[in-house]
Amino acid sequence: MGSLPAESQAALPDAPARPRRLPRGLLLVGGVLTLAVVELANALWAPHAAPKDADWQAAAAVVRAGFRAGDLIVASPPWADPVLRLWLGDLMPEAMVGRMDDARYGRVWQIAQRGARAREARGDERDRQRFGALTVSRYERPAAEITYDFLERWPEAQVSREEGPPGQPPTRVVPCVRDALGFTCPGPPAHVVRPGIYEIGATLRRGLSAPPVANAAVVLTWANVPLGRELAFAGGLHHVWLRKWPQGIVQLRVLVDGQLVATQRSGNRTGFQLGRADTSRWAGQKRTVRFEITADVPDGRMFDFVAEARNP
Amino acid sequence: MSSATRARDRLIAAVLAVLTVAWMLAVEGQQGIGRDEAQYMRAGEHYWGWFAELADNVREGHTRRSFTPKAIDRYWSDNAPDHPVVMKILFGVSWRLFHGREAAAGRPLHPIPYTLEHGALPIFPRASTAFRLPAIAMAALLVVLVFWFARRFVDPVAAAVAAVLAIAQPHTFFHAQIACFDAPVTTMAIAVAFAYWKSLRSARWGVATGVIYGLALGTKHNAWLMPAFLVAHWLWMRRGDWLRLRPPPIPLAFVSMAVLGPILFFLHWPWLWVDPVARARAYFNRHLEHEHYNFEYLGRNWNNPPKEWDRKLLRVTFPFVETGLTLPVTTLVLAGVGAWAFASRRRARVGRPAGEVTAASDALFLAGDGAGPRLAEDTTGGGFRRYLKACARPGADVDASPGSFLVAQFLGPMAIVALPSTPIFGGVKHFMPAFPFLAVCAGVGARHVMRQLRDLVPQRWPRTLPLGTGLLLCAPAVAETQRSHPDGLAHYNLLAGGFAGGASLGMNRQFWGYSVRPMLGWMAAHAPARGNIYWHDVLPDALSMYVRDGVMPPLGNAGGGEDAIRRSDLGLIILERHMVLYEGVFWESYRTTRPAYVRTREGVPVVTVYRRAGVP
Repeated sequence: MGSLPAESQAALPDAPARPRRLPRGLLLVGGVLTLAVVELANALWAPHAAPKDADWQAAAAVVRAGFRAGDLIVASPPWADPVLRLWLGDLMPEAMVGRMDDARYGRVWQIAQRGARAREARGDERDRQRFGALTVSRYERPAAEITYDFLERWPEAQVSREEGPPGQPPTRVVPCVRDALGFTCPGPPAHVVRPGIYEIGATLRRGLSAPPVANAAVVLTWANVPLGRELAFAGGLHHVWLRKWPQGIVQLRVLVDGQLVATQRSGNRTGFQLGRADTSRWAGQKRTVRFEITADVPDGRMFDFVAEARNP
Repeated sequence: MSSATRARDRLIAAVLAVLTVAWMLAVEGQQGIGRDEAQYMRAGEHYWGWFAELADNVREGHTRRSFTPKAIDRYWSDNAPDHPVVMKILFGVSWRLFHGREAAAGRPLHPIPYTLEHGALPIFPRASTAFRLPAIAMAALLVVLVFWFARRFVDPVAAAVAAVLAIAQPHTFFHAQIACFDAPVTTMAIAVAFAYWKSLRSARWGVATGVIYGLALGTKHNAWLMPAFLVAHWLWMRRGDWLRLRPPPIPLAFVSMAVLGPILFFLHWPWLWVDPVARARAYFNRHLEHEHYNFEYLGRNWNNPPKEWDRKLLRVTFPFVETGLTLPVTTLVLAGVGAWAFASRRRARVGRPAGEVTAASDALFLAGDGAGPRLAEDTTGGGFRRYLKACARPGADVDASPGSFLVAQFLGPMAIVALPSTPIFGGVKHFMPAFPFLAVCAGVGARHVMRQLRDLVPQRWPRTLPLGTGLLLCAPAVAETQRSHPDGLAHYNLLAGGFAGGASLGMNRQFWGYSVRPMLGWMAAHAPARGNIYWHDVLPDALSMYVRDGVMPPLGNAGGGEDAIRRSDLGLIILERHMVLYEGVFWESYRTTRPAYVRTREGVPVVTVYRRAGVP
């Protein structure tokens, strides 16, 4: 591949003089060379603009000094969360990191970089300090009063499998047995309902794993639940590998004293979905709350959900 | 062209090759060993074992013993039917020749019995470097080929710019220095294309194209698609003939590729010899039915061909968006300028009488001879001999339209990956064979910029101006590439916002588990006494190579899967979107959400490590 054919003249002769097309040529040359300089400068400068350990150390010290039980700590952008937990993870239990949403938190600490702002960083900004590439902010807002946390109170649930076609009275009700880890429902098919940490939509959430079963509803019932003005719930399909092939849709129905107040459908694309039911008419009263989980094709559907009754 | 010009060009090509090798050898030691790479290193050593045994059998007069199915499968079934073996053989040979003394702890970790202290010419202290050398050499060849091909269109400085920009790409540079096949098949893509280009004027190159194509088939399965992109170009150039229902002579290169390619493919791979039909079928099925592994793109995990319309449309954008966000922006802009230069040249030629050219556009290129491709030589009624002659030199005139050739070679791989049914788990590497042609285009763009600049500045500067401009145009790409190392796959360009911008856009951060390399010292210092470490996506072959390289002592391995996390006392997670669930297992098992260590790159986490509290 060493020689060029005779008629290929890549070494160009001097072009004959021609009228200057200054504006377009100048724009092109100026633009490209400016871009090259800017890109080069950015490549050299950008690594030094990233937060340093000293920045995190100082930011963490501020948060640690002002932290109170019940505060929320978040990183922004969200991908910085592992670094946030490296510095402040002892203040960030599973309940905070795997939360359903931020409604219960009246104070939110945000450690942000590159101008990002977390969804949770709302309310009155009461403090803002900068440490190198990091900005620490504290926001305060009214917090939701949690009247009942279904996840925390999972041992108080009655869990059963109600067999039979949907929309009809069950042909058989199989009670599930509670143990230290959750509920075991005898088969066939045998299945379990367990609290834990589950990956839903590439986020980790605390919740109750309640996989659906064929031709039946998995039912979780809590009696005497002190309701607030809303019943917030969230659910989705756990486990990235199990969202690859199975295609079934899981339906969650939420009932208060037998009255349907909300439904939610979860599939491979829906992620962790938050829903709210208006329970104002029962606010301050104790009612029975029931969650029913069914699926058209339950195979490989690891459904998890979490709920709380609250006054927002 | 004068001999002095040729000698100068050879010198430039040699300098570019040496600089490429030097750059890579200077930095590859920081580059972690990926999952697949470690397997190819192991396979390369296995294949060497067959050659060593063959030599012994030849010496003893029992040559046929090496060709029994059992003897073949003992060595060649490693990594079969996944990939052909040209590069793996080279990896093994290079290791055997050049590896230095390996760490004593690594002695039991060879896949074949091996007692020698070092290779025949132990120039590399690390075994992994010796394995990687052939891939690095292929990267140097890529640079040389881009230079030579670009020289057909532009002067040496602009061609050198094209060559530098072909390798100064963060993701390409990452792939180019490791013992895998993605960068080598990129080199073969331009090798085949260049050979085809030359075959348009030369029967000798028509035959050579088939040989080179056979080597490409032995490099990686992308090569099976290369003829389609060449045929597409040829059909386009000969469209006049087809429209006149006068099929032109078939280029010798295509015949040669069709005949010699599969023959060489079969001959080069002993594993196929045992049962050619069944094993060839297994090889093809492996790739035609390849599972879609996980890959993050624009904030979503892609592990299946999309079914919904909106997802299909988004999926089609993949190769174009990835190109737009991973290549240095200056390179992209220069390629755009080059494309414009080609297009304006074509516009200038269309409708003009043959021989008339416009100074502005054609001053960039070769002095062509007319308004575009002619019809193929009419061979009807001219006898078989005349037909063969036309096949042997099918159309020198096609190089009157180099832009369409570059477009076909660039868009071909991109179009394949744009299909929603094509897996994308490897990111840029799936369509990297398109990039040398983009680099050639960028060289043409650089030439155009230099020409414009020359017209703008005082006449006393012209000698140094092209070189200085060329260096400036290359500098951002080189700087970005060096900046990205050794985390090239996590790097995104100025448009995206670098490492942080890529993370914020939900772009894939890594795969293969290579990013632990810089933190192996930390792992060793904090290893639990029981040695029960969960290594996540860092496979045993990679760990073995780290031990052999002497960068890590043997540290123990708790195994794979969620139960292995529960058994472990120290564990890491390679941060990829679909791997999040393993972190939850750590939280539950270790009873903490607080990592012990987080490896970051410009603030973006790439590896998280947990250590169980209270264990020695």
